[in-house]
Amino acid sequence: MSWIKEDAVSFFQLFCIKVIKTGRIPQHIAFIMDGNRRYAKKHHEDTAVGHSKGFEKLSETLKWCLDLGVPEVTVYAFSIENFKRSAEEVDALMDLARDKFQKLLNEIDVINEWGVRLYVSGRLSLLPVDLRKMVSHAMLATRHNNKLKLNIAYAYTGRDEISRAASYLVDGVNNKELIVEDIDEELISQSLDLGEPELLVRTSGEVRLSDFMLWQVTNSVLYFTDVLWPEFSIWNLLAAIIHFQRHAPPSKYEDSSSEEKKQFLAKLENRRWQQLELFLNC
Amino acid sequence: MLSRLLRQFLFTLVHLVVSVLVAVQNVYLRIRTQYNDFSGGEEAANDVEVILRHIPYIIKKPKHLVILTDMTQHTLKDLALVVIWSLVAGVPYISFHDVTGELKENETKLFLEVEKCKKGVPGCIKWSNRPNLNGYTNGIQAHTITINVFTASDGRPKIAECIRKIANNELNCKRKTNEFTAQEFDEVLRQFYPSIPDPDLVMYTGSSCRTYGLLPWQIRLSEFVQLSLDQCINIQCYIGALYKYNKCDQRFGK
Repeated sequence: MSWIKEDAVSFFQLFCIKVIKTGRIPQHIAFIMDGNRRYAKKHHEDTAVGHSKGFEKLSETLKWCLDLGVPEVTVYAFSIENFKRSAEEVDALMDLARDKFQKLLNEIDVINEWGVRLYVSGRLSLLPVDLRKMVSHAMLATRHNNKLKLNIAYAYTGRDEISRAASYLVDGVNNKELIVEDIDEELISQSLDLGEPELLVRTSGEVRLSDFMLWQVTNSVLYFTDVLWPEFSIWNLLAAIIHFQRHAPPSKYEDSSSEEKKQFLAKLENRRWQQLELFLNC
Repeated sequence: MLSRLLRQFLFTLVHLVVSVLVAVQNVYLRIRTQYNDFSGGEEAANDVEVILRHIPYIIKKPKHLVILTDMTQHTLKDLALVVIWSLVAGVPYISFHDVTGELKENETKLFLEVEKCKKGVPGCIKWSNRPNLNGYTNGIQAHTITINVFTASDGRPKIAECIRKIANNELNCKRKTNEFTAQEFDEVLRQFYPSIPDPDLVMYTGSSCRTYGLLPWQIRLSEFVQLSLDQCINIQCYIGALYKYNKCDQRFGK
Protein backbone atom coordinates (compact mmCIF):
# COMPACT_ATOMS: atom_id res chain seq x y z
CA MET A 1 0.00 0.00 0.00
CA SER A 2 1.61 3.19 -1.16
CA TRP A 3 1.40 6.64 0.39
CA ILE A 4 -0.77 8.16 -2.28
CA LYS A 5 -3.43 6.00 -3.81
CA GLU A 6 -3.61 6.77 -7.49
CA ASP A 7 -6.90 5.19 -8.49
CA ALA A 8 -8.87 6.66 -5.58
CA VAL A 9 -11.21 8.81 -7.65
CA SER A 10 -13.85 7.85 -10.20
CA PHE A 11 -14.91 10.14 -13.01
CA PHE A 12 -18.11 11.16 -11.24
CA GLN A 13 -16.23 11.86 -8.01
CA LEU A 14 -13.73 14.01 -9.88
CA PHE A 15 -16.63 15.95 -11.35
CA CYS A 16 -18.06 16.57 -7.87
CA ILE A 17 -14.62 17.60 -6.61
CA LYS A 18 -14.47 20.14 -9.43
CA VAL A 19 -17.88 21.53 -8.52
CA ILE A 20 -16.97 21.94 -4.84
CA LYS A 21 -13.61 23.43 -5.81
CA THR A 22 -15.47 26.36 -7.36
CA GLY A 23 -15.94 27.66 -3.82
CA ARG A 24 -13.46 28.32 -1.04
CA ILE A 25 -11.21 25.38 -0.23
CA PRO A 26 -9.60 25.18 3.23
CA GLN A 27 -5.88 25.89 2.91
CA HIS A 28 -5.06 23.50 5.72
CA ILE A 29 -7.15 20.54 6.93
CA ALA A 30 -6.37 18.62 10.11
CA PHE A 31 -7.70 15.11 10.69
CA ILE A 32 -8.07 13.19 13.92
CA MET A 33 -8.19 9.71 12.45
CA ASP A 34 -10.25 8.01 15.10
CA GLY A 35 -12.11 4.70 14.96
CA ASN A 36 -9.56 2.18 13.65
CA ARG A 37 -9.99 -0.08 16.64
CA ARG A 38 -13.74 0.16 16.69
CA TYR A 39 -13.69 -0.71 12.99
CA ALA A 40 -11.59 -3.80 13.70
CA LYS A 41 -13.94 -4.82 16.50
CA LYS A 42 -16.97 -4.32 14.31
CA HIS A 43 -15.51 -6.58 11.63
CA HIS A 44 -14.08 -9.10 14.14
CA GLU A 45 -10.53 -8.38 13.08
CA ASP A 46 -7.29 -7.77 14.92
CA THR A 47 -6.60 -4.15 15.98
CA ALA A 48 -3.49 -4.18 13.78
CA VAL A 49 -5.77 -4.77 10.79
CA GLY A 50 -7.81 -1.73 11.81
CA HIS A 51 -4.73 0.45 11.98
CA SER A 52 -3.50 -0.74 8.63
CA LYS A 53 -6.95 -0.03 7.10
CA GLY A 54 -6.64 3.39 8.66
CA PHE A 55 -3.39 3.98 6.83
CA GLU A 56 -4.98 2.92 3.55
CA LYS A 57 -7.67 5.49 4.16
CA LEU A 58 -5.04 8.14 4.76
CA SER A 59 -3.45 7.51 1.38
CA GLU A 60 -6.86 7.76 -0.28
CA THR A 61 -7.60 10.97 1.59
CA LEU A 62 -4.30 12.46 0.47
CA LYS A 63 -5.23 11.85 -3.14
CA TRP A 64 -8.60 13.53 -2.60
CA CYS A 65 -6.90 16.52 -0.99
CA LEU A 66 -4.44 16.78 -3.89
CA ASP A 67 -7.36 16.76 -6.33
CA LEU A 68 -9.24 19.32 -4.27
CA GLY A 69 -6.20 21.57 -4.21
CA VAL A 70 -5.76 21.53 -0.43
CA PRO A 71 -2.11 22.55 0.05
CA GLU A 72 -1.62 21.35 3.63
CA VAL A 73 -2.91 18.33 5.56
CA THR A 74 -2.12 17.44 9.17
CA VAL A 75 -3.03 14.09 10.69
CA TYR A 76 -2.92 12.93 14.29
CA ALA A 77 -1.29 9.54 14.06
CA PHE A 78 0.08 8.85 17.53
CA SER A 79 -0.23 10.75 20.77
CA ILE A 80 2.32 10.77 23.58
CA GLU A 81 -0.52 9.37 25.69
CA ASN A 82 -0.78 6.40 23.30
CA PHE A 83 2.48 5.08 24.76
CA LYS A 84 0.25 4.04 27.67
CA ARG A 85 -1.55 1.47 25.54
CA SER A 86 -0.63 -2.20 25.80
CA ALA A 87 3.00 -2.92 24.84
CA GLU A 88 1.72 -5.25 22.16
CA GLU A 89 -0.36 -2.57 20.49
CA VAL A 90 2.36 0.09 20.77
CA ASP A 91 4.83 -2.32 19.15
CA ALA A 92 2.36 -3.10 16.38
CA LEU A 93 1.88 0.64 15.74
CA MET A 94 5.63 1.26 15.70
CA ASP A 95 6.05 -1.66 13.27
CA LEU A 96 3.33 -0.20 11.08
CA ALA A 97 5.15 3.14 11.08
CA ARG A 98 8.50 1.45 10.30
CA ASP A 99 6.92 -0.43 7.44
CA LYS A 100 5.24 2.68 6.01
CA PHE A 101 8.27 4.95 6.33
CA GLN A 102 10.45 2.27 4.72
CA LYS A 103 7.97 2.10 1.83
CA LEU A 104 8.04 5.85 1.58
CA LEU A 105 11.81 5.87 1.41
CA ASN A 106 11.69 3.17 -1.27
CA GLU A 107 9.29 5.13 -3.41
CA ILE A 108 10.79 8.53 -2.71
CA ASP A 109 10.92 9.39 -6.43
CA VAL A 110 7.16 9.00 -6.72
CA ILE A 111 6.62 11.18 -3.65
CA ASN A 112 8.89 13.85 -5.10
CA GLU A 113 7.00 13.65 -8.37
CA TRP A 114 3.74 14.29 -6.51
CA GLY A 115 5.47 17.15 -4.70
CA VAL A 116 4.58 15.96 -1.21
CA ARG A 117 6.57 17.47 1.66
CA LEU A 118 6.50 15.26 4.70
CA TYR A 119 6.88 16.72 8.15
CA VAL A 120 6.64 14.72 11.36
CA SER A 121 5.75 16.82 14.37
CA GLY A 122 6.18 15.63 17.90
CA ARG A 123 8.76 14.76 20.53
CA LEU A 124 10.89 12.62 18.23
CA SER A 125 13.29 11.81 21.07
CA LEU A 126 10.59 9.45 22.41
CA LEU A 127 10.70 7.26 19.30
CA PRO A 128 12.85 4.12 18.91
CA VAL A 129 16.19 5.07 17.35
CA ASP A 130 15.69 3.22 14.07
CA LEU A 131 12.27 4.72 13.50
CA ARG A 132 13.56 8.19 14.35
CA LYS A 133 16.27 7.73 11.77
CA MET A 134 13.78 6.78 9.07
CA VAL A 135 11.48 9.64 9.94
CA SER A 136 14.34 12.14 9.81
CA HIS A 137 15.49 10.71 6.50
CA ALA A 138 12.01 11.00 5.00
CA MET A 139 11.67 14.61 6.17
CA LEU A 140 15.07 15.65 4.87
CA ALA A 141 14.49 13.92 1.54
CA THR A 142 11.20 15.71 0.87
CA ARG A 143 11.87 19.09 2.45
CA HIS A 144 11.96 21.01 -0.85
CA ASN A 145 8.63 19.76 -2.18
CA ASN A 146 5.77 22.22 -2.09
CA LYS A 147 2.63 20.88 -3.70
CA LEU A 148 1.16 19.22 -0.65
CA LYS A 149 2.51 19.57 2.86
CA LEU A 150 1.70 16.48 4.84
CA ASN A 151 2.27 16.90 8.58
CA ILE A 152 2.08 13.79 10.72
CA ALA A 153 1.65 14.35 14.42
CA TYR A 154 3.56 11.44 15.92
CA ALA A 155 4.54 11.20 19.61
CA TYR A 156 2.66 14.46 19.74
CA THR A 157 0.39 16.38 22.08
CA GLY A 158 -0.67 19.99 21.74
CA ARG A 159 0.55 20.81 25.23
CA ASP A 160 3.92 19.26 24.50
CA GLU A 161 4.20 21.31 21.31
CA ILE A 162 3.45 24.55 23.17
CA SER A 163 5.96 23.61 25.89
CA ARG A 164 8.67 22.93 23.35
CA ALA A 165 8.00 26.25 21.60
CA ALA A 166 8.19 27.98 24.99
CA SER A 167 11.64 26.43 25.52
CA TYR A 168 12.89 27.70 22.14
CA LEU A 169 11.66 31.21 22.89
CA VAL A 170 13.19 31.31 26.36
CA ASP A 171 16.46 30.04 24.87
CA GLY A 172 16.18 32.70 22.17
CA VAL A 173 16.09 35.38 24.86
CA ASN A 174 18.94 33.77 26.80
CA ASN A 175 21.07 33.64 23.62
CA LYS A 176 20.27 37.29 22.91
CA GLU A 177 18.55 36.43 19.64
CA LEU A 178 15.31 37.92 20.92
CA ILE A 179 14.25 40.47 23.50
CA VAL A 180 11.54 39.57 26.00
CA GLU A 181 9.06 41.96 24.38
CA ASP A 182 9.35 40.07 21.09
CA ILE A 183 7.52 37.11 22.59
CA ASP A 184 3.90 37.52 21.61
CA GLU A 185 1.04 35.40 20.29
CA GLU A 186 2.21 35.69 16.72
CA LEU A 187 5.79 34.64 17.44
CA ILE A 188 4.59 31.66 19.47
CA SER A 189 2.33 30.60 16.59
CA GLN A 190 5.31 30.76 14.25
CA SER A 191 7.58 28.83 16.61
CA LEU A 192 5.22 25.85 16.79
CA ASP A 193 5.74 22.84 14.51
CA LEU A 194 2.29 23.07 12.97
CA GLY A 195 0.41 25.94 11.35
CA GLU A 196 -3.23 26.84 11.93
CA PRO A 197 -5.74 24.57 10.18
CA GLU A 198 -8.84 26.15 8.69
CA LEU A 199 -10.84 22.96 9.13
CA LEU A 200 -10.44 20.18 11.67
CA VAL A 201 -12.23 16.88 11.05
CA ARG A 202 -12.65 14.28 13.78
CA THR A 203 -14.18 10.95 12.88
CA SER A 204 -15.97 8.28 14.93
CA GLY A 205 -18.33 10.53 16.85
CA GLU A 206 -15.96 11.77 19.55
CA VAL A 207 -16.35 15.48 20.18
CA ARG A 208 -13.08 16.53 21.75
CA LEU A 209 -9.63 17.60 20.62
CA SER A 210 -7.71 14.99 22.67
CA ASP A 211 -4.75 17.34 23.01
CA PHE A 212 -4.40 17.97 19.28
CA MET A 213 -3.41 21.41 17.92
CA LEU A 214 -4.78 23.18 21.00
CA TRP A 215 -3.09 26.48 20.17
CA GLN A 216 -3.85 26.38 16.47
CA VAL A 217 -7.61 25.72 16.41
CA THR A 218 -8.62 29.13 17.78
CA ASN A 219 -10.18 30.15 14.47
CA SER A 220 -10.71 26.74 12.91
CA VAL A 221 -14.05 25.23 12.00
CA LEU A 222 -14.41 22.00 13.98
CA TYR A 223 -16.28 19.24 12.19
CA PHE A 224 -17.24 16.11 14.09
CA THR A 225 -18.64 13.16 12.18
CA ASP A 226 -19.86 9.75 13.35
CA VAL A 227 -18.22 7.70 10.59
CA LEU A 228 -15.26 5.52 11.62
CA TRP A 229 -11.98 6.54 10.01
CA PRO A 230 -11.50 3.39 7.87
CA GLU A 231 -15.01 3.98 6.49
CA PHE A 232 -14.44 7.69 5.77
CA SER A 233 -15.38 8.33 2.14
CA ILE A 234 -14.94 11.13 -0.33
CA TRP A 235 -18.57 12.08 0.34
CA ASN A 236 -17.77 12.59 4.03
CA LEU A 237 -14.85 14.80 3.04
CA LEU A 238 -16.96 16.82 0.62
CA ALA A 239 -19.66 17.21 3.30
CA ALA A 240 -17.00 18.54 5.69
CA ILE A 241 -15.86 21.02 3.05
CA ILE A 242 -19.42 22.15 2.32
CA HIS A 243 -19.86 22.67 6.07
CA PHE A 244 -16.64 24.70 6.06
CA GLN A 245 -17.83 26.78 3.12
CA ARG A 246 -21.04 27.60 4.98
CA HIS A 247 -19.40 28.54 8.28
CA ALA A 248 -15.80 29.59 7.69
CA PRO A 249 -14.73 32.88 9.20
CA PRO A 250 -12.96 35.22 6.76
CA SER A 251 -9.32 34.24 6.43
CA LYS A 252 -6.78 36.72 7.64
CA TYR A 253 -3.21 36.80 6.54
CA GLU A 254 -0.92 39.32 8.04
CA ASP A 255 2.71 39.00 8.79
CA SER A 256 3.96 41.92 10.80
CA SER A 257 7.09 40.24 12.12
CA SER A 258 10.11 42.40 12.70
CA GLU A 259 13.50 41.60 11.20
CA GLU A 260 14.80 40.15 14.51
CA LYS A 261 11.84 37.85 14.80
CA LYS A 262 12.28 36.65 11.24
CA GLN A 263 15.95 35.99 11.86
CA PHE A 264 15.12 34.08 15.02
CA LEU A 265 12.55 31.97 13.17
CA ALA A 266 15.02 31.24 10.37
CA LYS A 267 17.58 30.11 12.94
CA LEU A 268 14.97 27.99 14.70
CA GLU A 269 14.09 26.33 11.40
CA ASN A 270 17.76 25.71 10.73
CA ARG A 271 18.29 24.14 14.13
CA ARG A 272 15.36 21.83 13.49
CA TRP A 273 16.90 20.50 10.29
CA GLN A 274 20.29 20.16 11.95
CA GLN A 275 18.70 18.12 14.72
CA LEU A 276 17.12 15.85 12.11
CA GLU A 277 20.47 15.39 10.41
CA LEU A 278 21.89 14.43 13.77
CA PHE A 279 19.12 11.88 14.27
CA LEU A 280 19.81 10.50 10.80
CA ASN A 281 23.53 10.13 11.31
CA CYS A 282 23.59 8.87 14.86
CA MET B 1 -16.15 28.63 -20.34
CA LEU B 2 -19.40 26.69 -20.53
CA SER B 3 -18.10 24.05 -18.17
CA ARG B 4 -17.00 26.71 -15.71
CA LEU B 5 -20.46 28.26 -15.75
CA LEU B 6 -21.98 24.82 -15.30
CA ARG B 7 -19.70 24.12 -12.34
CA GLN B 8 -20.53 27.43 -10.76
CA PHE B 9 -24.23 26.77 -11.29
CA LEU B 10 -23.99 23.32 -9.74
CA PHE B 11 -21.94 24.69 -6.85
CA THR B 12 -24.62 27.28 -6.08
CA LEU B 13 -27.26 24.60 -6.45
CA VAL B 14 -25.52 22.26 -4.00
CA HIS B 15 -25.28 25.00 -1.40
CA LEU B 16 -28.89 25.99 -1.97
CA VAL B 17 -30.04 22.41 -1.49
CA VAL B 18 -27.98 22.10 1.69
CA SER B 19 -29.48 25.33 3.03
CA VAL B 20 -33.00 24.06 2.33
CA LEU B 21 -32.25 20.71 4.01
CA VAL B 22 -30.80 22.45 7.07
CA ALA B 23 -33.86 24.69 7.29
CA VAL B 24 -36.18 21.67 7.09
CA GLN B 25 -34.16 19.92 9.78
CA ASN B 26 -34.41 23.01 12.00
CA VAL B 27 -38.18 23.06 11.71
CA TYR B 28 -38.38 19.33 12.37
CA LEU B 29 -36.19 19.60 15.46
CA ARG B 30 -38.17 22.52 16.80
CA ILE B 31 -41.44 20.62 16.43
CA ARG B 32 -39.89 17.58 18.07
CA THR B 33 -38.63 19.54 21.09
CA GLN B 34 -42.04 21.12 21.50
CA TYR B 35 -43.60 17.70 21.33
CA ASN B 36 -41.17 16.47 23.96
CA ASP B 37 -41.85 19.46 26.16
CA PHE B 38 -41.71 18.03 29.64
CA SER B 39 -41.30 21.21 31.61
CA GLY B 40 -44.81 22.62 31.59
CA GLY B 41 -43.57 26.07 32.59
CA GLU B 42 -40.85 28.53 31.86
CA GLU B 43 -39.96 30.05 35.16
CA ALA B 44 -36.99 29.03 37.23
CA ALA B 45 -39.11 27.50 39.98
CA ASN B 46 -40.54 24.92 37.58
CA ASP B 47 -37.22 24.40 35.87
CA VAL B 48 -35.85 23.31 39.21
CA GLU B 49 -38.40 20.50 39.39
CA VAL B 50 -37.61 19.43 35.84
CA ILE B 51 -33.91 19.23 36.58
CA LEU B 52 -34.43 17.38 39.85
CA ARG B 53 -36.52 14.83 37.98
CA HIS B 54 -33.78 14.17 35.41
CA ILE B 55 -30.66 14.46 37.50
CA PRO B 56 -30.79 10.89 38.95
CA TYR B 57 -30.39 9.53 35.40
CA ILE B 58 -27.34 11.62 34.68
CA ILE B 59 -24.41 9.64 36.02
CA LYS B 60 -21.48 11.61 34.65
CA LYS B 61 -21.92 15.23 35.63
CA PRO B 62 -19.52 17.87 34.34
CA LYS B 63 -17.25 19.44 36.97
CA HIS B 64 -16.63 22.51 34.90
CA LEU B 65 -19.13 23.61 32.30
CA VAL B 66 -18.28 26.31 29.77
CA ILE B 67 -20.89 28.12 27.70
CA LEU B 68 -19.66 29.76 24.51
CA THR B 69 -21.46 33.05 24.89
CA ASP B 70 -22.30 35.39 22.05
CA MET B 71 -24.13 38.41 23.44
CA THR B 72 -25.58 39.23 20.03
CA GLN B 73 -27.49 35.92 20.28
CA HIS B 74 -27.95 35.21 23.97
CA THR B 75 -29.64 37.33 26.62
CA LEU B 76 -28.45 37.85 30.19
CA LYS B 77 -31.58 36.04 31.31
CA ASP B 78 -30.57 32.97 29.26
CA LEU B 79 -27.19 32.92 30.95
CA ALA B 80 -28.60 33.53 34.43
CA LEU B 81 -30.97 30.59 33.98
CA VAL B 82 -28.12 28.33 32.91
CA VAL B 83 -26.35 29.26 36.13
CA ILE B 84 -29.43 28.36 38.17
CA TRP B 85 -29.98 25.07 36.32
CA SER B 86 -26.34 24.13 36.79
CA LEU B 87 -26.52 25.04 40.47
CA VAL B 88 -29.49 22.73 40.91
CA ALA B 89 -27.88 19.99 38.83
CA GLY B 90 -24.79 20.10 41.05
CA VAL B 91 -22.23 21.42 38.56
CA PRO B 92 -19.54 23.03 40.75
CA TYR B 93 -17.97 25.39 38.18
CA ILE B 94 -19.53 27.28 35.32
CA SER B 95 -17.75 29.67 32.99
CA PHE B 96 -18.89 31.89 30.18
CA HIS B 97 -16.47 32.31 27.32
CA ASP B 98 -17.29 35.74 26.02
CA VAL B 99 -16.93 35.65 22.23
CA THR B 100 -17.88 39.26 21.53
CA GLY B 101 -16.44 40.95 24.62
CA GLU B 102 -19.82 42.40 25.62
CA LEU B 103 -20.43 40.14 28.58
CA LYS B 104 -17.17 41.09 30.28
CA GLU B 105 -18.38 44.70 30.23
CA ASN B 106 -21.77 43.74 31.59
CA GLU B 107 -20.69 41.35 34.30
CA THR B 108 -22.50 43.38 36.96
CA LYS B 109 -25.73 43.14 35.01
CA LEU B 110 -25.28 39.38 34.79
CA PHE B 111 -24.74 39.32 38.55
CA LEU B 112 -28.03 41.17 39.14
CA GLU B 113 -29.87 38.93 36.71
CA VAL B 114 -28.55 35.79 38.43
CA GLU B 115 -29.60 37.12 41.83
CA LYS B 116 -33.06 37.82 40.42
CA CYS B 117 -33.44 34.31 39.03
CA LYS B 118 -32.02 32.67 42.12
CA LYS B 119 -34.88 33.72 44.43
CA GLY B 120 -36.12 30.68 46.29
CA VAL B 121 -33.53 28.31 44.87
CA PRO B 122 -31.29 26.78 47.54
CA GLY B 123 -27.56 26.94 47.00
CA CYS B 124 -24.64 29.28 46.96
CA ILE B 125 -23.29 31.25 44.02
CA LYS B 126 -19.67 32.42 44.04
CA TRP B 127 -18.08 34.88 41.68
CA SER B 128 -14.40 34.42 40.98
CA ASN B 129 -13.90 38.09 40.16
CA ARG B 130 -15.97 39.51 43.01
CA PRO B 131 -15.30 37.53 46.15
CA ASN B 132 -16.93 40.27 48.29
CA LEU B 133 -20.27 39.72 46.57
CA ASN B 134 -20.40 36.03 47.24
CA GLY B 135 -23.77 34.85 48.41
CA TYR B 136 -24.77 32.96 51.47
CA THR B 137 -25.93 29.39 51.75
CA ASN B 138 -29.45 28.58 52.79
CA GLY B 139 -30.28 24.95 53.35
CA ILE B 140 -27.86 22.33 54.52
CA GLN B 141 -27.47 20.12 51.47
CA ALA B 142 -27.34 23.00 49.01
CA HIS B 143 -24.83 23.04 46.17
CA THR B 144 -22.24 25.70 45.47
CA ILE B 145 -21.39 26.99 42.01
CA THR B 146 -18.50 29.25 41.04
CA ILE B 147 -18.85 31.56 38.08
CA ASN B 148 -16.04 32.76 35.82
CA VAL B 149 -16.15 34.92 32.74
CA PHE B 150 -13.32 34.32 30.26
CA THR B 151 -12.44 36.06 27.03
CA ALA B 152 -9.93 35.25 24.30
CA SER B 153 -7.37 37.34 26.22
CA ASP B 154 -7.32 34.66 28.93
CA GLY B 155 -6.09 32.16 26.34
CA ARG B 156 -3.13 32.71 24.06
CA PRO B 157 -2.07 36.11 25.50
CA LYS B 158 -1.81 34.61 29.01
CA ILE B 159 0.46 31.84 27.74
CA ALA B 160 2.59 34.46 25.98
CA GLU B 161 2.78 36.46 29.21
CA CYS B 162 3.86 33.32 31.06
CA ILE B 163 6.66 32.64 28.57
CA ARG B 164 7.81 36.29 28.78
CA LYS B 165 8.01 36.02 32.55
CA ILE B 166 9.98 32.78 32.37
CA ALA B 167 12.37 34.39 29.87
CA ASN B 168 12.73 37.33 32.25
CA ASN B 169 13.54 34.98 35.14
CA GLU B 170 10.59 36.28 37.10
CA LEU B 171 9.22 32.81 37.71
CA ASN B 172 10.60 29.78 39.37
CA CYS B 173 10.48 26.85 37.01
CA LYS B 174 12.02 23.45 36.59
CA ARG B 175 13.47 22.33 33.30
CA LYS B 176 15.29 19.04 33.39
CA THR B 177 16.20 18.72 29.69
CA ASN B 178 16.58 21.38 26.93
CA GLU B 179 12.88 21.30 26.34
CA PHE B 180 10.09 21.83 28.85
CA THR B 181 7.83 18.85 29.24
CA ALA B 182 4.11 19.51 29.28
CA GLN B 183 4.03 18.79 33.03
CA GLU B 184 6.82 21.25 33.79
CA PHE B 185 5.21 24.00 31.76
CA ASP B 186 1.81 23.22 33.22
CA GLU B 187 3.11 23.81 36.73
CA VAL B 188 4.28 27.30 35.82
CA LEU B 189 1.24 28.22 33.76
CA ARG B 190 -1.12 27.19 36.56
CA GLN B 191 -0.11 30.29 38.50
CA PHE B 192 -1.81 32.45 35.87
CA TYR B 193 -5.22 30.90 36.28
CA PRO B 194 -7.71 30.46 39.10
CA SER B 195 -7.31 27.01 40.59
CA ILE B 196 -10.34 25.39 39.02
CA PRO B 197 -10.62 22.10 37.11
CA ASP B 198 -10.13 22.08 33.33
CA PRO B 199 -13.42 22.42 31.45
CA ASP B 200 -14.87 18.99 30.75
CA LEU B 201 -17.93 20.14 28.86
CA VAL B 202 -18.26 23.05 26.44
CA MET B 203 -21.75 23.88 25.20
CA TYR B 204 -22.28 25.91 22.06
CA THR B 205 -25.34 27.04 20.16
CA GLY B 206 -25.76 27.23 16.40
CA SER B 207 -24.65 24.84 13.72
CA SER B 208 -20.97 25.66 13.65
CA CYS B 209 -18.46 24.67 16.31
CA ARG B 210 -15.37 26.76 16.97
CA THR B 211 -13.37 27.45 20.11
CA TYR B 212 -13.02 31.22 19.64
CA GLY B 213 -9.74 31.14 21.54
CA LEU B 214 -11.19 29.46 24.63
CA LEU B 215 -8.36 28.54 27.05
CA PRO B 216 -6.15 26.55 24.65
CA TRP B 217 -4.11 24.90 27.39
CA GLN B 218 -7.13 23.72 29.36
CA ILE B 219 -9.48 22.38 26.67
CA ARG B 220 -7.47 19.32 25.68
CA LEU B 221 -10.11 16.88 26.90
CA SER B 222 -13.22 19.06 26.81
CA GLU B 223 -16.22 17.66 25.00
CA PHE B 224 -17.93 20.07 22.62
CA VAL B 225 -21.67 19.50 22.80
CA GLN B 226 -24.26 21.38 20.80
CA LEU B 227 -26.90 23.00 22.96
CA SER B 228 -29.26 23.92 20.14
CA LEU B 229 -29.17 24.20 16.38
CA ASP B 230 -30.66 27.68 16.47
CA GLN B 231 -29.32 30.09 19.04
CA CYS B 232 -31.93 29.53 21.73
CA ILE B 233 -31.15 28.30 25.23
CA ASN B 234 -33.92 26.53 27.12
CA ILE B 235 -34.29 23.87 29.75
CA GLN B 236 -35.02 21.08 27.24
CA CYS B 237 -31.88 21.65 25.24
CA TYR B 238 -29.85 22.06 28.43
CA ILE B 239 -30.95 18.68 29.74
CA GLY B 240 -30.55 17.20 26.27
CA ALA B 241 -26.92 18.38 26.20
CA LEU B 242 -26.25 16.86 29.62
CA TYR B 243 -27.62 13.54 28.38
CA LYS B 244 -25.45 13.77 25.27
CA TYR B 245 -22.37 14.38 27.42
CA ASN B 246 -23.35 11.46 29.58
CA LYS B 247 -23.22 9.06 26.68
CA CYS B 248 -19.69 10.02 25.62
CA ASP B 249 -17.24 7.51 26.95
CA GLN B 250 -13.82 8.84 27.63
CA ARG B 251 -10.83 6.73 26.68
CA PHE B 252 -8.04 9.23 26.39
CA GLY B 253 -4.93 7.68 24.96
CA LYS B 254 -5.91 4.15 25.82
